[in-house]
Amino acid sequence: MTDLETRSAERAAMLDRLRHILVAQLQLGRDPDELDPDAPLFGSGLGLDSLDAVELVVCLESEFGVRVGDPVTLRQSFRSLNKMIDLIAAGRGAP
Amino acid sequence: MSLAREVEALRTAVTLAAGDHIACVRVRGADAVETLDRVSPRALFARPGKMTHTLLLDDDARPIADVTLCCDEDDWFMLAEGLPAAAVIEYVIEHVQGRAGGLDVELDDLSHSHAMITLNGPYAWELLGELTTPDVIGLPYLGFFHADAFTCFRGGKTGEYGYDLLVERDRLAGLRDRVLTLGRRFELAEISLAALETAQLENLFWNPRKDSAPGLTPIELQLQWRVSYDREFPGSAALHRRRRTAHRRAVLLCADRELPADARVVADGRDIGGVLHTGASPTRGDWLAIAIVERALAHAGLDFTVGGVAARTLSAPAIDNRSLLVDPQRHSFATRDTDAFPPLVRR
Repeated sequence: MTDLETRSAERAAMLDRLRHILVAQLQLGRDPDELDPDAPLFGSGLGLDSLDAVELVVCLESEFGVRVGDPVTLRQSFRSLNKMIDLIAAGRGAP
Repeated sequence: MSLAREVEALRTAVTLAAGDHIACVRVRGADAVETLDRVSPRALFARPGKMTHTLLLDDDARPIADVTLCCDEDDWFMLAEGLPAAAVIEYVIEHVQGRAGGLDVELDDLSHSHAMITLNGPYAWELLGELTTPDVIGLPYLGFFHADAFTCFRGGKTGEYGYDLLVERDRLAGLRDRVLTLGRRFELAEISLAALETAQLENLFWNPRKDSAPGLTPIELQLQWRVSYDREFPGSAALHRRRRTAHRRAVLLCADRELPADARVVADGRDIGGVLHTGASPTRGDWLAIAIVERALAHAGLDFTVGGVAARTLSAPAIDNRSLLVDPQRHSFATRDTDAFPPLVRR
């Protein structure tokens, strides 16, 4: 496996895991593969709200061991699944 | 004013632009909801004052218009980008008649009687508050209301506070003058459609004028959030077929050098896709591109080449919008320099 394929596979695995968690925890009424990685999570996108945001904070810590106290970082990282993956990857020391 | 200055104003202050690119159709009649429900891939939010962000698809499930449906008591507004109002009406009539017909609905093209102007920026809410009433800061995203001289739709496709004002044409000059006068205190800048589209690219917000091509559906374009697969709508059969076979997806790329339009995307020496559209990002100080690539490689943080230029995929949006952090209850344009917001771009 090339480095590119390895990194891509890691992101894909993380995306898949996040999708399933969101669908299960937030009861989105959608199949996991409908959650596009760059789609907005709040507002017009998937339509998540502030209660969902709390769920996401809990999920980040329980599922991925990522704890974020800074509200600015949280807001910026909850804009899309890809941004959440960036946050998780950074928390694990990945590039 | 340069494009870079226009985008900077949009990212940090308030901007005014013509909204000629937004078509407006008034939908009336006992079957207005039924009519819109048949053409929208997404379920309608039928509560007065609320808007639903959706699409119009052709029979191959290619998105051809970016549409917002606005419930106004018994009537609706259809705001559309990508098609002129006459084409939107033609689309609705064709698809509704083709499936049932006989509906009590009237579609009025407002482009002759009305005009649209659009306010965008992290302090657009504050200017709008002076234009109408301070209560406007409570207007939720995807909500709208009727003011004395115009109808105000809160949407926006730039990641900043955005308001589209629909006004009768004979009142347009008066409204523009008023906005410009009040705008002096906010360093209001008049900007072009090119600046709005640049900001749209920075936020990876779908642009029907640039990001539509044969063979692309909401699945490739990451627009599935505007689709409900349990509904029947124009293009739904094609979309269901594509769902089983889709193997490409849009990614956002950045590069230090100009990214050529229509270039191929190469990874590890192999052609993996092509560019949809490119543009300079004044906010980031680099170049951005939207490309459609193999789904297995459509992830952030990967290094590709685009037309021979080194490029890296990144997560959307490509900037940290100031509007995400500006709270109308705590911030104002007057205090912007002391509010200590983080930079718009993280390095």
